[in-house]
Amino acid sequence: MKFSLGAGRWWLWSALCALLLVLLGALVFLARAYEDSRRTEELERTATELVAEIKAKLNQNVQAMLALHGALPDDSSWQREVSTLLLENREILRVEWRDRDLQLQQAQASPFHPFLFDKLPRSQFQPDVQQACANARRFSGPAYSTSYFLPQQEGRGQELLEMCHLLPGGEGYMVLTYGLSDLLAERIGRSTRGSLSVALTESDGTRLAIAGRLTRQHDTLHAVQLLELPGSAYTLRVEQERETAGIRPKALSSTLALLALALAGVLALLAYDVRKRLRTEARLAEALAFRKAMEDSLRTGLRARDMKGRITYVNPAFCQLVGLPAEQLIGTSNPAPYWPPERAGEYLQRQSVRHAGQLQPRQGFESEYIRPDGSRFPVLIVEAPLIDAQGRQTGWMSAALDLSAQRKIEEQSRASQERLAATARLAMAGELASLISHELNQPLAAISSYANGSLNLLQDTEQDGQAMLPDLREAMQRIADQAERAGRVIRSVSDLVRRRERERSAVPAQVLFDGIAPLVQLQARKTGIEVHWRVEPGCPAACCDATMVEQVLLNLVRNGLQAMPEGHPSAASGLRSLELCASAAPPQEGSGRQWVAFTITDHGQGLSDEVAARLFTPFFTTKSEGMGLGLSLCRTVVEQHGGALDHAAATPRGTVFRFTLPAAL
Amino acid sequence: MAKDGTVFLIDDDDAVRDSLGWLLRTRRLLSVPYPSADKFWTEAQRWQEGPASPCCALLDLRMPGMSGLALFELLREQPWFAQMPVIFLSGHADVPTAVDAVLRGAFDFCEKPFSDNALVTRIERALERSAEALALRQRQRELQQRIAGLTEREQAVMQLIAAGLANKLVADQLQISVRTVEVHRARIFEKMGVKSVVELVRLLHQD
Repeated sequence: MKFSLGAGRWWLWSALCALLLVLLGALVFLARAYEDSRRTEELERTATELVAEIKAKLNQNVQAMLALHGALPDDSSWQREVSTLLLENREILRVEWRDRDLQLQQAQASPFHPFLFDKLPRSQFQPDVQQACANARRFSGPAYSTSYFLPQQEGRGQELLEMCHLLPGGEGYMVLTYGLSDLLAERIGRSTRGSLSVALTESDGTRLAIAGRLTRQHDTLHAVQLLELPGSAYTLRVEQERETAGIRPKALSSTLALLALALAGVLALLAYDVRKRLRTEARLAEALAFRKAMEDSLRTGLRARDMKGRITYVNPAFCQLVGLPAEQLIGTSNPAPYWPPERAGEYLQRQSVRHAGQLQPRQGFESEYIRPDGSRFPVLIVEAPLIDAQGRQTGWMSAALDLSAQRKIEEQSRASQERLAATARLAMAGELASLISHELNQPLAAISSYANGSLNLLQDTEQDGQAMLPDLREAMQRIADQAERAGRVIRSVSDLVRRRERERSAVPAQVLFDGIAPLVQLQARKTGIEVHWRVEPGCPAACCDATMVEQVLLNLVRNGLQAMPEGHPSAASGLRSLELCASAAPPQEGSGRQWVAFTITDHGQGLSDEVAARLFTPFFTTKSEGMGLGLSLCRTVVEQHGGALDHAAATPRGTVFRFTLPAAL
Repeated sequence: MAKDGTVFLIDDDDAVRDSLGWLLRTRRLLSVPYPSADKFWTEAQRWQEGPASPCCALLDLRMPGMSGLALFELLREQPWFAQMPVIFLSGHADVPTAVDAVLRGAFDFCEKPFSDNALVTRIERALERSAEALALRQRQRELQQRIAGLTEREQAVMQLIAAGLANKLVADQLQISVRTVEVHRARIFEKMGVKSVVELVRLLHQD
C-alpha cells in the first residue's frame, strides 16, 4: 500500500523535528549573541559615561576646592565651606590644608566617616600625600596619589585616594582624600544603573573598589574603560548579569519560546491531520478495493457511459459477456462493438430517446448483443443516470444481464407445455374418435350382416327364388334403417361442432394478435425471426369464435416460422421476418357483408406443386412430428365461419396464407 | 335344414342381434338372442348338466349392466365351460381386452365391423368344438356307469390289471387264488366291453 503510516515516514518526521530544534537553538543563540553584543555596547557606553562623570566630578570638586581657597584655613568660614562641601560630596572623606612642607594646617573629616583614621594614624599615609603633592607640583595642577588600603574596624577597610592641589602662590596644598568605594557608590547610587556592578581595578586587575550589585555568577557581561587621573590610572570595569539584563531579552526569548511552542503545536496538528488523512485514504482505498472486488465478483455486467455514449467503465463480467477485453471497450463510442450491425440504427434511436430524458422503466429493456465470434445472445439492460458530487448527470450506468439461460428455460417449459397440451388434445381426440367409431360400428356391423345374409340367400341354389323375396325385402329395409341410423350419428357430431357458432362475437384483429403474440414471440426469438404485426387502419372487427381463430392464426404462424429454420434464409438477407396483417376485404359479390382478411407471409422456401395439391388433405404432413391435421382443421374452422382459406407464393420467396372472416355488423 | 347346434347371441344392440340372427339363419344356423348378459346368465344357471346339444355364445364386450367380460368370468367357473365356446365381439378399441380374454380361455374374438361369413365359419368351428366336448363328456359318463356296475372286488382287481400286473401277482397281492383272479378278469372284460388288457387301459385313459 502506498498510504502506509509505517516505517517509511517516521524519519521524515524526526528530521523535521531535529531541524526545527536546530533552527530554534540557532535563533536563540543568535538572539542571545546579538543581545549580548548590544548589551556590551551599552555597558561600554555606560563605562565611558561613568569615567566621564567621575572625571567631571573630580574636576568639579577641584573647582569647589579652589573656591575654598579664598578663605583662610583657620577662618571659620572655611570651616563652614568645607563642611558644606563634605556634606554635598560623600565621596570626599577628608579635606586637609597643608603648608608648603606638607604639614597639616587644617583638616576636616567627612561627617559620614568621622573616625576614618582612628585605627591607623594619618601620619602613616604621609608618603601617599607626598606622592600626590609631588605630582601636583610637577603638573602645577591637581594630581593624585596611587590608592592605598585603609583597614578599619571589624576587618573592613577602604581603598583611599589622595588628591593634592597646589594652592595658588605655592603657599600650601589642599589635599582631598577620596574613598574609591564612595566615589563609585555616588555615581551608581544616583543613576538608574542599579543592576550594574562597577569596580575600579588596578592595571594588574586587583579590584580596589566596587559598587552596585555584587555578582557572584560567572555569567556576566562586562566593559572596561581606563580612568586616567593625573598621577594615577585605574581601570573601570562595569559588569552586568545576563539574567538581570533587563526585560527586553526575556521578551525575545519568551517570544521565541512561544513561537517554538506554537510551531511545535502546529506541527503536531499537522501530524495529526496527516495521520487522519492517511487513515481516511486507507479507508478510501479499502472501500475502493471492496467495491472493485464486488464489481469483479458480480455476474451482472456493469457498464458506464458518458453523455456522449462513450464507454468509461466496464467490469469483468461485462467483458466476459460480450467477449471483448476492457481495453477494447473503454473509450469506444456508438455504435458499440457488441451491437449487431443490422440493429445499430434501432439501438441508436433508443439511446437518443433515453438521453432525451425519458427515463427507462426500472425493469429495464431487452436487447440483443453479438460477440466477436458472431454468437448472439439476449440481454436485459437496466439503466440509471450517473450523478456526480455536484448533482450533475455525467452519464449512464447500466447493468446487463445475460438472458440466454432464462430464455432456454422459458422455451423448454413452453415446449413441454405445448407437448402436454398436444397430448391432451390428442387423447381427447382419440376418445372422441373411439366413441364415434363405436357408434358407427353398430349400424355398419348390422348392415354388413344383412347384406352378407342376403348374398348368402341369393347364392343358395336350394332356395326357391320367389320364396326368399320377402326375406330379402326385409333385409334391404333393415339395411336402409341402419344406414339412416349411421347418418344420425354423423349428424349429431356435426351438431356438436355447429353448437360453437353461438359463441361468436365481435373481436378486433389486434385482440386476436395480442392473444397469440407471447407464444409467437417466444418461438420466433429462438430462430431469430422478426415478427411484424400490422392492423391496417379501417380494419373492422371480425365476427368469430376468438379461441378457434387464435388457433388458426397460431397454426399458420407456426407453419410460417417452421418454414424458416435457422440459416434459411440467412440473417444477412434481411428476409428473416414474418408478417401478420389484418385488413378490410371487399364484400363478396351478391352480399353486402364486409370481410376481414388476415394474411400471414413467410419467406421460407415456398411450397412445391405436389405439396400444394395435398395441402388441405387430412393426415397429410411434411413434418416428422406432425399429425397432418393443422391446415385441414384451419380450413374447417375458417369455412365454418363462412370465410375461405387459400395460399399463394410470396415475393421474393416464401408463401402467403390468407383467410377471411366476416366483419362484425 | 337347420344344422345341429345353437348360437347364443348376447348383444345389447337390437340391430346387431337381429342382423346376425338373420345372417345365421341364411347359413342354416339356429340362434337365440339375449339383449343382455344378465338375461343369459339367468338362463344358463338353470342348466344342471350343461347344454344338451352343441352350442356357442357370441358375446359383446361392451354392454350396459353386466359386461361381456364379467359374464365370461362367471362362465369360466362352470363345469360345462368347455362345452360352450365363447366368441367375443369387440370394437377396435377393445382389442387388447379381447385378446386377453382369448388367452384366458375364450374361443376367439371378432372385431367389428366383421366380415360376416368369416364369423359364421368361426361359429361353425366353435360348434364342432362344442360337439366334440359333448361327445367326450358322453363317453366319460358311460365309462363311469360301467365302472359303477363292477363289484368292489372286481374294481380292485381291475386296478391291478390295468397297472400291468400278471394274474399270479394279483392273486398274491389280494391273497386270493389265481383261479379266482381269472374269473374276475373274465367278468371285468365282459362288463367293460373290452377284449384285452390293452383295450381296457385305453378305455380308462382315453381322456
